[in-house]
Parts: sequence; structure tokens; C-alpha cells
Amino acid sequence: MLEISNIDVCYGDLQALWDVSLTVGGGEIVTLVGSNGAGKSTIMKAISGLLKPKTGSISFEGICVNKLPAHRIAELGISMVPEGRRLFPQMSVLENLEVGASAREAKKARHNTISWIYELFPILRARARQRAVTLSGGEQQMLAIGRALMSQPRLLLIDEMSLGLAPLLVQEISQVIKDINKSRKLTIFLVEQDVNMALSMADRGYIIEHGRIQSEGAARAFLCNERIKEAYLGISPVEKAG
Amino acid sequence: MEDVIQAIASGILVGALYALIAYGLGLIMGIMKFLNVAHGSLLILGGYVSYWIFTLWGINPYLSIPLVIIATFLAGLILYKLTLSPLLKLPDIEMRVANSLLITFGVIYVLDNAMALIWTPNSRSIMASYSGEAINIFGVKLSLTGLCGLGIAILVAVALYFILSKTYLGKHVRAATQDAEAASLCGVNVQRTYLISCGIAVALAGVAGVIVVSSYSITPGGGLSWLLIGIVVMVLAGEGNINAILPAGIILGLVESASIFVVGAPYRQAVALVIFIIVLMFRPQGLFTKKRTDVYYNS
Amino acid sequence: MSTITANWKKLLPSGVVVAACIVLPMVMEIGTNILNLMVMLFIFIILSQSWNLMGGYTGQINLGLAAFFGCGVLATHFLWKAEVPIYLAVLAGGVATMVLAVIIGLPTLRLRGVYFAIGTLAFAEVLRIVVGNIFTTWVKMPGSYVATYSLLPRYYLGLVIALIAIAVVYFVTNSKLGLAMVAVRDDEEAAQVTGVNTFKYKVLTLLISAFLAGLGGGVYAFYRLSFYTMSQVFSPLWTFEPVMAVMIGGAGTLLGPIIGSFFLVILSEIFALKLGEAHLIIFGILFILVVLYFPYGLVGSVDQVRQVMARVSRSRLWKAIH
Repeated sequence: MLEISNIDVCYGDLQALWDVSLTVGGGEIVTLVGSNGAGKSTIMKAISGLLKPKTGSISFEGICVNKLPAHRIAELGISMVPEGRRLFPQMSVLENLEVGASAREAKKARHNTISWIYELFPILRARARQRAVTLSGGEQQMLAIGRALMSQPRLLLIDEMSLGLAPLLVQEISQVIKDINKSRKLTIFLVEQDVNMALSMADRGYIIEHGRIQSEGAARAFLCNERIKEAYLGISPVEKAG
Repeated sequence: MEDVIQAIASGILVGALYALIAYGLGLIMGIMKFLNVAHGSLLILGGYVSYWIFTLWGINPYLSIPLVIIATFLAGLILYKLTLSPLLKLPDIEMRVANSLLITFGVIYVLDNAMALIWTPNSRSIMASYSGEAINIFGVKLSLTGLCGLGIAILVAVALYFILSKTYLGKHVRAATQDAEAASLCGVNVQRTYLISCGIAVALAGVAGVIVVSSYSITPGGGLSWLLIGIVVMVLAGEGNINAILPAGIILGLVESASIFVVGAPYRQAVALVIFIIVLMFRPQGLFTKKRTDVYYNS
Repeated sequence: MSTITANWKKLLPSGVVVAACIVLPMVMEIGTNILNLMVMLFIFIILSQSWNLMGGYTGQINLGLAAFFGCGVLATHFLWKAEVPIYLAVLAGGVATMVLAVIIGLPTLRLRGVYFAIGTLAFAEVLRIVVGNIFTTWVKMPGSYVATYSLLPRYYLGLVIALIAIAVVYFVTNSKLGLAMVAVRDDEEAAQVTGVNTFKYKVLTLLISAFLAGLGGGVYAFYRLSFYTMSQVFSPLWTFEPVMAVMIGGAGTLLGPIIGSFFLVILSEIFALKLGEAHLIIFGILFILVVLYFPYGLVGSVDQVRQVMARVSRSRLWKAIH
């Protein structure tokens, strides 16, 4: 469904991604993990259209999207939950959701979609008229996800969902995501620092370091892999020795 | 006592016109953070269009407003496309703002000289049958044109409130103002939203110009004084606070009216500007917002 | 001084030009048209260097330059009328303008970007209105001044002050103050955090800029003698045209305002003959194009071309090595 081929991405003169390729198949949950500054958010920005790759191509359902502006990409069916949520602070929960449904088709169906979002995240219904900036961190994350879902996307990008959230909340939300993936066949590509959570949700995973893809494989295989466990999952030296 | 009531009444009517001038300025400033210094010249342009229509076809200026709106809306689209949208590609906000000042200053130069070329530097005004007329309520004279200005200002205030809070365009505008990148991720065509907003802003300038040409007179270079009035009202209302513009304008009108008793008519404009400087120094967020002040100060 | 002797080859062309400006009118009969143009050129060089100090180097857009210019004109005019020798009167005009700068600067310098620009614009307009209301008729010089009027002293006064302005800008921008100014322009917050007292430097820059603009006003007072409407010298055109000169020539450079002023004054004469009124519109459009696409002006474009070529040759070298 999503195919990234050999992209280089730069911030001005600073290159952040080198020859990155990856694929996401329909109905999958794929994750990209790596440490801080490895390039995860850069890839998300490149897919969603906020950054343009210098070389290489990104195609979605066969359509080449790397030259399209961000709002066109959103209309095509890719929706992103940005890092840091990026809600519209002075607009209400309801208004944030409504803006999420800006594409024509989504606009028509928005009342139904909003009801669905309220089912997924009941707290949002309670806070419908409150300004987004008054919500707690977890509620904001739920709103951000809800807003991204308003456009009825076929591919959902999630950038660093767990940042600043309590582990229990992260569990709850990731369960909701898994359910949507199963029930609506929504393809999900998530980028995460919390490797444990990401690998337990995903079908497949990629590892990125210093702007280059290091490995790829089934999520379960990563979880069992000794090297990966040591690098990312925090095996203590005692365990390792013994 | 009657003088005071008359001053209050005139102040309100004038203030409504002042608010009308500020709407277009406030829109562009609030949405794109650009100061459109050419706003005054665009107002004059609207006045000239109305004058032309009146001279060629004898159409009442207030009836010609729809035509003026169309003409100035188009001018706004052109202004945006040619001069403002390239600025959005600049990464640094300070540079964007500085360049927008310079560019719109340049637009004044081009526009004023073009208007002088087309319509000659002589001052123009529309003398219709009702131009000097006023109605009399309890001994207070209310000029007809002033009342029209008040009516239109109220109309605009209500329309803008409605558009910004209830329509999708309004939501797009507010979303783009609060986080343009996030808005485009949601499918909002931010460039087009800015384009339309600019068109609306200049159209509002044009409407104000119609009132000006029928109540006062216009000259090609006269835009600057109207611009400054618009800026004063905009700052009094607070950056981005569209709903506060009408009250802010009326307050300015009242203060100006009152100042005539103190310093006399020729210094009226100077009084407005002095008030403005005082407000800038002590309460730059305007009279109506409780926002933090660090956007305006450097330390 | 050592840098001057070290770069004497680069300075030679300018030296020749300056020498020509000094010597030629003394030995040749130069027409009044050219002399008039040259005086206006010198005034524009002074004003544009003044604005450049703030707008080009410090990054602060002062839209009230006309206030400083007008103040210089006023002060010089009345002092000279009161029989103060012209050179002193012009100097005093510069000093008076510095006082005005303090009055304007104290409230406005704390303001950021747009608001500083609006504040200075507002001040200039207030001044224009007040002056216009005070001086409602001709402001004239006594007949004796008119009778002894000759262009050459104006020319030389303008030349001297223009050279002073260029020298002042050169020394200021190459001093510690100059570094501070660029720091303010590039990132004021960062400068403050590293302990630079940005407010002090902004005030200093404003004072110097005002002084130069006031001197320019003094030259104009000497040149024009009488004024039909005094408020005319406070007109925003006296802000805008120097700004155009700076941007077209290249902001933030020493040569830029000079080239821009030359462009504006001399070429404008030529265009006016051919195109009439429309030439102003063309200059305005040119200005807009420059700000949009050539933010470094004419001077900078030469630099940009040089930089691009350097980059190209470097990469070829790199490829050749690898």
C-alpha cells in the first residue's frame, strides 16, 4: 500500500535520511523504531508531505505522492497523528474533530464519524465544547487520534504516540488502535521510541539508526532477538552476563 | 450638554467607520501575521472604483458596493498571489514580517502613483443627493452617510462573527492561524485559505473606501492617514481579536470626538496617533485581550 | 587604518571617483542640471546609509525616517536664518535629531518587529500633522540669502556629508557595535542570552542613524532655502525612497545604498524623461521584485553569483579528487 524507495531527505543543508526504503502492506501494523534523532519523525514528515525528499520516491496505492502538497496527500487517504499532537489549542474538541474532516467526502459523513470517535474515546464526548488546550495529555492524544481518523483514512501514521503519557494510558490507546486495525482494516504505520509497546502492537518492524534503515523483520522475531533486546529493550548487564 | 451628546453621537458614527477600516487589516494581521501597509491605498482604490461607477453610470455608491466588493476582492487575490504568498516560503518569521512591511510599502508606491495616473491627483468625492444630509433625533444630528457606515460596520461584524465561528471556511481560517502545518495535515488547503482571506480583507477595505468617498473625499496619496487609523483600532482591539474591532473603533471615535474640545479639530488625527503610541507602550495586547505581552516586547 | 593601506587596490576605483567629484567642479563648468542631481544624490546617499544602519544591519525597520530628516531640515533652517554659519547649523540639525531620536526611541525600541515599525510610522505622522498645523504658509529665507545663492557650496556640503556618512557607517559596522548590531539582526534573543545588552546597542544605532538623517536634512535645508509647505519634508516619501535605494542596492552592505541611490536619483531622471509619470510605478514594481527575489539587492546578487560559482568549482574539485 505504501512504498518508500530510496529516499534522501534533508533539512536545508543537513541530510537526515540516507537511501531509506520500506513498505507497508494493506491491513498491516508496521512500526519503525530507533533512538532519538535517528530519523523517525523525518520519515513521517516525508510521507505526509511536510517535507519533500531530495531523491527517491514515495508511492501510496500506486500513486506517486512525494511531490504533492500535504493537504492533497491527506485527501488521498493518508492521515497523520503528528508528534506532539499539534491540536488547534483555542478550538473546541468538537471543532478540532470537524477540521479533521475537511476533505469533501469526509465532511459529508462527519456526523457519523464523530459518533464513532466518541464511542472509541468516550471522554471526548464529555469534553466536546472545551478548548483543546484545557485537556489533559492523554485526552489530547485521544483527540489527536480522533481528528486524524475523521478523514476516514486508509493509512494512519502515528508519530511518537507514547511521549509524555502514562504507561496505562498508552496501553489503553494502543488497544484501541489494534481494534481499529482489525475491525476497519485500517493500515497503521507507527513510529515509536517505546520499542516494547511498538513491537507488541505491530506485525512487522523496521529499525532505523542515524538516518539509515538497519534491519527489518517480523515484530515477534525482533522481540526475541538478543541484540535488539540489548540495544533497545534494556537488558541489564547482569542478565547478559548470567 | 447638547454639545456633549452631539459629540458622543458623532463619535460613535465616526468610530464605526474606523472599525470598518480595521477589519481588513486585522484579518490579514491575525491570520498571516503580515501587516498590509497598503491597506489604506486599497481603501482609496475602492473609493475610486465607486466614484468611477457613480460618474459613469450614476449608480448610488451604496448600491455599487457589491461591484466594489468584487473588484477589490480580485485585487486582494492578486495582491496575495503576487506579493504575499512568496513570502510564506521564507522559514524565518521575523524575515517574513519585515519583508511584508517592505513589500506592501512598495505596493503603496505603485498603487498610489497608478491611481494618480488614472484619476489625476485631484481630490474626488461623491456628491449625491443625500451627501450632506442628516437626520435629527432629539436635537442630535446624525449624518446619513455616518448612519450607513454604522449599519455596514454592524453588518460586517455580524457576518465575520458568523463566518469565523460557524462555517467551515472560518474553521479552516482559525485552524490555519493556530497551526498551519497541522491544518494541512487535516486536509486544509492553507494557501487557498490565505488567498480567500486576503481577498475578503481587501474587499473590506474597498467597502470602507465607499463610505469614505461619499462622506469625505479621496486623493491618491490619502491612504496613509486611513491606514494609521486602521492600525490604531487594530492595536486597541488586540492582534487577532476580530470581534473586538467594532467596540475598539467606537472607543477611538469617542475619544477623538472628546479631544476636539481639548486640542481643537486640526490635531484630531494627531491625538489618535498619540493615544496609539501610549497604548503600544503600556498595553500592546490591546484593551480587550488578557493575552501575554511577550509577543510584542523584546525583553 | 591598516586595513585601508592593505586594501588600497580595492579602494582605488572609489578613490578615483571621490577625487573626481571633488576636483571636477572646480576645474570645469558643470551644468546646473547635473549639480542639482548630484546634490540630491548626496542627500539620498546620506539618508539611505542612515536607514541601512538600522534596517540593513540591525534588522529594525524604521518607517519614520522622514521624522529625522524633517527635524534636521527644521533645525538647520531656523538656525541658519538666525545667522548661525551653515556648517554649524547643519551639525546642530544632526544633534537636534538625536534628541528627537531619544524621544521616539525610548517608547518604541522595546517593541518587536512590526510594532516598532508601526510606532515609528505613527510618530512620523504625528510630527507631520503637528508641523503642518504650525507652519501653514511659506517658510522663507530673507532675500539676501536668495540673492547670494549658488549651487557649488551645496554640492560640496552634500559631498562632504555624504563622505562622512559613508565613513561613519564603515567604522561603526566594523567595530564592536557593528558585531552587536548583526547579532541583534540575526537572533536578538540569542544575543541577549549571551549577555549582549541589545537595548543599549539598539539605542546607539538609532542615535547614529538619526544623526546622519538629520545631517541630510540640514543639507536639504541649505539646498532648498524655502518651503511651500513645511510638512512636506516630513512626508513618508522621505522614508520610502531611501528604503527603496537601500533594498535595490543591497541592504546590509556599505556599497549597496550608494548604488541604490545612484540608481534611484540618476536613472530616475533618465526614465522620467522617457516614461513620464509611469517611471515611478516602474521603480515601485522593481522594488517589490527586488525584495521578493533578490533580497540582497544588486550588490548582493554579485556576491551571490560569486558564491554559487565558488560552490560549483569546489564540488568539481571534490569530485575530481574522489
